[in-house]
Amino acid sequence: MHTKPMIRPVKNSAWHYFLRWLGAGYDKLILWLTSKFFALGLALVLSFPKRYRMSHNNGIAGKGKLRIVDNPQFPEHDFFVPGRVFDARIRHAMATFLDDAMKGIRSCSIKFADTQWESPMDLECNTGEINLFWSAASFLKFAQLRKQQWGVEYEEYYRKYPQGIIGAQKALRKDATSYTNLRYYALTPFLFIGKDQIKRYAKYRVVPFDDIPETGLITHPSDWDTANQRITPHEPRGRNYLKDEFVKRVKEEGAHYRLQIQTRVANDDDNPEIFNNQIPWDEAVFPWHDLAIIDITEPLDWKESTLTSFSLNNMPKTLGIIPAKSIYDYNSLNYMRAHAELARKARLFSYKIKGFPPPIPDDDNRNKSDWDGKY
Amino acid sequence: MTEEEIEKIVDRAYAETKIRYPYQGGFFSPRLKHINHMEVGRSKIIQSWYNILLEWIYEKWNAFGVRYHTWLKRVFPRRNVLFTGHIDSSLVGQLLFAEPAKDNIPIHNMHLEFWGRTKFYQWRKFGECSSDENGKFRLEFSLIPTQAWIIKSTLHFEIYQTTDILCEKGRMVHKQSLFKTIPIKKSDLIGMEYNLRIIRLFLWQYRPDSTIPRVYIKPDGTDAPEEYPEGRVRAMTEQMIPIELTKVKHLLQIEEDPLSLSIAQIQRDYPKNLTVAIEEKLPGYTRGDDWFGIREMNGMNMSTFQPDATTPGEYWVRYFGACNYEVNDEYAFPTAEIRFRMKPNGLPTPIEIHLTGPLNRFNKDPFQKLVVTSSEGEKWLQAKRVARVTSALCAELDQHLAGTHLNTEQYSIAAHRNIRKNPVITLLMPHVKSVSLIDNTADKLLIQGYIPSATALTAKSTEKRAADLLGFQDWKGWKPMKVLSDAHLYAKAEELYWQVVTEWVDLFFSQHETEIKKEWLEIYRMSEDLVAHSVPLFTETVNWDELSPEELDFTKRRIEYLAAEYRMDLNLPRKKVKGTQKAISPITESTVFREDSDDWQNLKDMCRYVITTATFLHTWVNEHQYEDIGEVLYSCLGLRFGEKETGIMAPESDISIAPDATRSTQMMWFSNLLSRTEYGFILKNEQKDMHPEFMELLNAKKKEFAALKVNVEEIESRTNI
Repeated sequence: MHTKPMIRPVKNSAWHYFLRWLGAGYDKLILWLTSKFFALGLALVLSFPKRYRMSHNNGIAGKGKLRIVDNPQFPEHDFFVPGRVFDARIRHAMATFLDDAMKGIRSCSIKFADTQWESPMDLECNTGEINLFWSAASFLKFAQLRKQQWGVEYEEYYRKYPQGIIGAQKALRKDATSYTNLRYYALTPFLFIGKDQIKRYAKYRVVPFDDIPETGLITHPSDWDTANQRITPHEPRGRNYLKDEFVKRVKEEGAHYRLQIQTRVANDDDNPEIFNNQIPWDEAVFPWHDLAIIDITEPLDWKESTLTSFSLNNMPKTLGIIPAKSIYDYNSLNYMRAHAELARKARLFSYKIKGFPPPIPDDDNRNKSDWDGKY
Repeated sequence: MTEEEIEKIVDRAYAETKIRYPYQGGFFSPRLKHINHMEVGRSKIIQSWYNILLEWIYEKWNAFGVRYHTWLKRVFPRRNVLFTGHIDSSLVGQLLFAEPAKDNIPIHNMHLEFWGRTKFYQWRKFGECSSDENGKFRLEFSLIPTQAWIIKSTLHFEIYQTTDILCEKGRMVHKQSLFKTIPIKKSDLIGMEYNLRIIRLFLWQYRPDSTIPRVYIKPDGTDAPEEYPEGRVRAMTEQMIPIELTKVKHLLQIEEDPLSLSIAQIQRDYPKNLTVAIEEKLPGYTRGDDWFGIREMNGMNMSTFQPDATTPGEYWVRYFGACNYEVNDEYAFPTAEIRFRMKPNGLPTPIEIHLTGPLNRFNKDPFQKLVVTSSEGEKWLQAKRVARVTSALCAELDQHLAGTHLNTEQYSIAAHRNIRKNPVITLLMPHVKSVSLIDNTADKLLIQGYIPSATALTAKSTEKRAADLLGFQDWKGWKPMKVLSDAHLYAKAEELYWQVVTEWVDLFFSQHETEIKKEWLEIYRMSEDLVAHSVPLFTETVNWDELSPEELDFTKRRIEYLAAEYRMDLNLPRKKVKGTQKAISPITESTVFREDSDDWQNLKDMCRYVITTATFLHTWVNEHQYEDIGEVLYSCLGLRFGEKETGIMAPESDISIAPDATRSTQMMWFSNLLSRTEYGFILKNEQKDMHPEFMELLNAKKKEFAALKVNVEEIESRTNI
């Protein structure tokens, strides 16, 4: 009969402090090296030679205004001044395929400025209240096990990591009627140090201005078919139908969104799981509050959309990313995103050298993630 | 000569034949490597000096390996200390029995552990858990300790099974053994859940090719779910090597010159058995009516005496021979029905023998009948011998093989497959272990080996007969044999033993009541396995419409007698599985314990039945074999038809109907093997796996058993030979 194991006690001698300090330093070094090498790898393999973003190549942008709400219900913050208006851009995109009719994650990136790059704040949001990965380590494994062929990908990842398949089923969208009726989440929390100087954490999401039903949800997901992201047989819609719908809508009536925020006070003994993007914060305890209203009034062309880039480094210090301790830390995901600058620069540099990638044609190269349409 | 004088002579003969070889092996003495190396022909014993030397070197190498691993375990102990922190990860999956794959049968309550090793080879434990009732598990652990730079790149997910129950400092403890290790790459762990998916285990698998519930062991003997203890093999070696050498000598002599070896010579070469010893002192006594009655009542056969319907004080003992099973043309196997009259001293004396079936090679009518009475002189002697031979084969197959070995194995498999946390495992396991191994050996030695070559039955019919006989075995309603008189020693001993077991089981259940009820699911699953794999109730297998009037009468007689012999109530309602009524009754039909049911008593009854069958019943039939089939001409397992019209109704001097020299020496070897190599006695407790309370209860009845000529020291704790 097995006896209950004893839990190894934490030792607090100077030597053990030193060892822990050394271990923590080692973990941070690995995180830094991983992030840098990942960015370098992206730059050398995708961004420069292929002119690719890391994932969301298939996108369209628009511009307009972002106005902080007049009567905020969240803690006061120097940046989110009530009634403050920003020029803004948003970019909707799909990962990773160049075919709007495929099943995939859709995104909404927000820039608090009408520029290609510089901005006081950027946010990157995706569909799904949870996602397919939760840390730098899990993201790297996710990337390693993509193994895409014929529009089917991540099969092995889903088999090994059940949370991945749950995340996929929550985040993937198919047959959405418009980018503007989806819900987008920033998932991993950020810092929020308000006027009261109390340290808090914040999560953001983008929802339609009007509470209209979300489309494209996978209502009866199958574990056996989640990896299949191919278009429906006899799909009548083209490769650009969502982008075309967005352009048409913005031209005719504009696209209107609410940017919302959840905040919670930071405590020393917080459970690390509060940073886990797989575990949404309880809305009853941490309700979503309107942060800003976004009105997009003008679509941007393909070239401008391609040039518009977002970064988590574009944030006020009091709203930045939460420091991460290791590649297994849930906050390492934002840390790694913030360290991907090199890849963005390599992509923009490749545009200068090789020219802009052409818009996605409405042809029969379905279920593809490569520009040239070749498998 | 008075009865007392005869009894003294018999007692002296007993003492004379109760021999044990003191082990006198030297370095170059022949040795037996494994029980599976035994053969009816020539066993694989190591004899030549260079093989012994090579074996010695190999053993030393192995011993070095064992010592090295023991040293490693001491230097790098597996401390039961969890290296953990914030629990943020888990290993998930499901344990299923490998076969039948389509049924997806979960393995519940398996103990699981998660370990890693440092680059300096120290073990670190990260977590542990058990599989749930659906076989699913979630082993939670902290990710960071598993990813420390000092941890080697492969981690170990380990599945444990209980392989033994041992008494340590007065407490029965489970000995857990590593069943399977699944390596996990450290880099594959990224937090949240890691899915090990469905893990199929070849754990106490049922043999798919057998109608009898048997455990699956590969033909080469590997992958067996349990192992013989070392002491078992040593006991076998010490007692069997002289016997094996005698057999080998005979086989070589037969190969050279078959006629040079007589049955008398063969008999002399083997240790004296009881009947030979008595004959030396009291010639003709063992062929007399008194001895016949004594042995039928209290010998290996432990016969069931069925009262005659019309004459009070008269009884019938029936041995059903070939029946409708496949037989060969060489050996006879008639049905023998013996009418007894009870003497004033309480012992039975035979007065009439009815033989049904072929007695010679010319008349094959299965219902021909010969009735011989005690007044018929030489013919009466011959009929008694025929009845002895039929009864010996019936005892060997019906009582020994089916009644104890195969019967116990079905409970052993169901218990091993299902009981892990329930305390009932500590009650049953010491008694049901090893039986599957010896049954596997019996397949080769007995069912495929000796029986088809030395009796009327073929391997196929032996298996069919065993399956039919299991159709009469059920724990429910079983009770000890009715005592007919003061001289009915077997029935009295069985009754006494049953009382001891009942007392022990009651005590155990009162000590562990809460835990037994808490882990009731395991009992339910065991019950389900038992019933699902049980053979059909025998009466279900009979196609009544196709039977001729003779067959109908014969079958009814057989069913009535066997039901009495196995003390089975055929009228009890029994569960149907896939339309077939099963022989074994369910213990419970509920996954949780219900106070308003008979389940508590059912479980106790089942435990009492299994312990009694695996220990006392098997000991009795096994250890009396050498007494009753240790003299070729007195009794064997098959008489040949011979060439004469008289067939098997011939005197012992007619060697043409006796087994030939090869079968004779094999029979002597066999009965020695079975009766003289026992190991694992309750009171000797060689493996330290007996409950002290049970030993105390049994020991307290030592004198009462001795009065019944039962030495409690010699009651085996399990069926392992």
